[in-house]
Amino acid sequence: MSNIEPIIRVENLSKSFDQVQALKGVNLTIHPGRIVGLVGANGGGKSTLLRTAVGLYLPDGGSCTTFGQEAGKLRPEDLARIGYVHQEGELVDWMTVDQMVRYVAAYYPGWNGELEERYRSRFEVDGHRRVGVLSPGERQKLAILLAIGFEPELLILDEPAAALDPIARQRFLDLLLDIIQDAGRTILISSHILSDIEKIIDHVLILDRGTILRDAGFDELREEFSKVRLTSLNGPLPETLPFEGLLACERSGAEALLTLRALNRSDMETAADSMRCTLELLPLSFEEIYRLIIEGNRSEEAELEP
Amino acid sequence: METLLLDIDPHGGLPIYRQVMNQIRRQIMTGQLDAGEQLESVKSLSTRLKVNPMTISKAYGFLVEEGLVERRRGVGLFVSQVRADSRKRLQQKMLREAFGKAATLAVQMGIPEDEAARLFSEHLRQLDSSGKGRERDEQH
Repeated sequence: MSNIEPIIRVENLSKSFDQVQALKGVNLTIHPGRIVGLVGANGGGKSTLLRTAVGLYLPDGGSCTTFGQEAGKLRPEDLARIGYVHQEGELVDWMTVDQMVRYVAAYYPGWNGELEERYRSRFEVDGHRRVGVLSPGERQKLAILLAIGFEPELLILDEPAAALDPIARQRFLDLLLDIIQDAGRTILISSHILSDIEKIIDHVLILDRGTILRDAGFDELREEFSKVRLTSLNGPLPETLPFEGLLACERSGAEALLTLRALNRSDMETAADSMRCTLELLPLSFEEIYRLIIEGNRSEEAELEP
Repeated sequence: METLLLDIDPHGGLPIYRQVMNQIRRQIMTGQLDAGEQLESVKSLSTRLKVNPMTISKAYGFLVEEGLVERRRGVGLFVSQVRADSRKRLQQKMLREAFGKAATLAVQMGIPEDEAARLFSEHLRQLDSSGKGRERDEQH
């Protein structure tokens, strides 16, 4: 993987707005062919990072390189490879939807009319309505169409699904999977609806208060954390449980619910066997894992403070 | 090549690639998928299940490593002829895992070993006879 040129390379990037440091020395690389989920609390720096990657913000320190070019100096031919959807989509309110689509399509020789048709029927986009009267969800759908219609190699989506209803959201996620099927496409998506993106992403970046807390393959992250039910087969559970990496423990009599980190299945089973207990693996959602990482980091910080 | 019947729960705790692996492994062990049968392509399966194609390639990659599936260059993936001894070992392992919950419950409820074993045998016989009944129906 390392010999493939990354699509985005961010090195020691910092950015402030009026005394507030939005990004504090961020390092990351985005490799081609992936769907990368950028997650974190609002105000954590997600939008700043995405805007910097397309050259809308310039770094105060460090660098951001997109398609091998300094992001602030992307040329029109580089920008033509990037689709970008953000919360405040810049749409022209006096145009009709049709006019707006034709206006944008005219800039791109590679505009895919067939994809446009498919998208419009799937998302029920009415071409005759004026952009200015569209609901937030309809505006979002239009902004997405404008960003994918020219089949960009890199699709950057900043909270794209926030205004969509559940069915449109599901269709939108399916659409992203269609898009990634074509070789050489990369999707970077920020969202705070973790249950939405957990089905499609293969890599995750957790951005918290301007720094990257985790940069990991999604499956590795999932397997790092586990939740199990421990059941003692003879009497109540012992006072201390011999598990390393114990993050949380609720117990009552012969049973306990444990949340664990960095412990593989067979080590857990060995520990359970040694105390005459059985182990049952329980589901742990991405949202819970995310919370464990954020809280774990907060408590580490608290310990470091004098 | 038939389409694979898989049920994926994205919020189900196990990573999706593991769910895919487990279900395909089970289908191979139960004979639902025969040796020599071609597996659905990564693209087709990921589109149908609506999951990331990398997830499916990863699951397939591990099944190849386990020797349950083999890659034929330029054609695709096929179910391997699994050696009898390793087939048996894997089947026993899967069965033991499936026992886990029932065994825990039996011990917790204080059901003696011979009674638990009798219940299990009874259950087996019931399934077996309904299976035979079906075979008879099919012959007529």
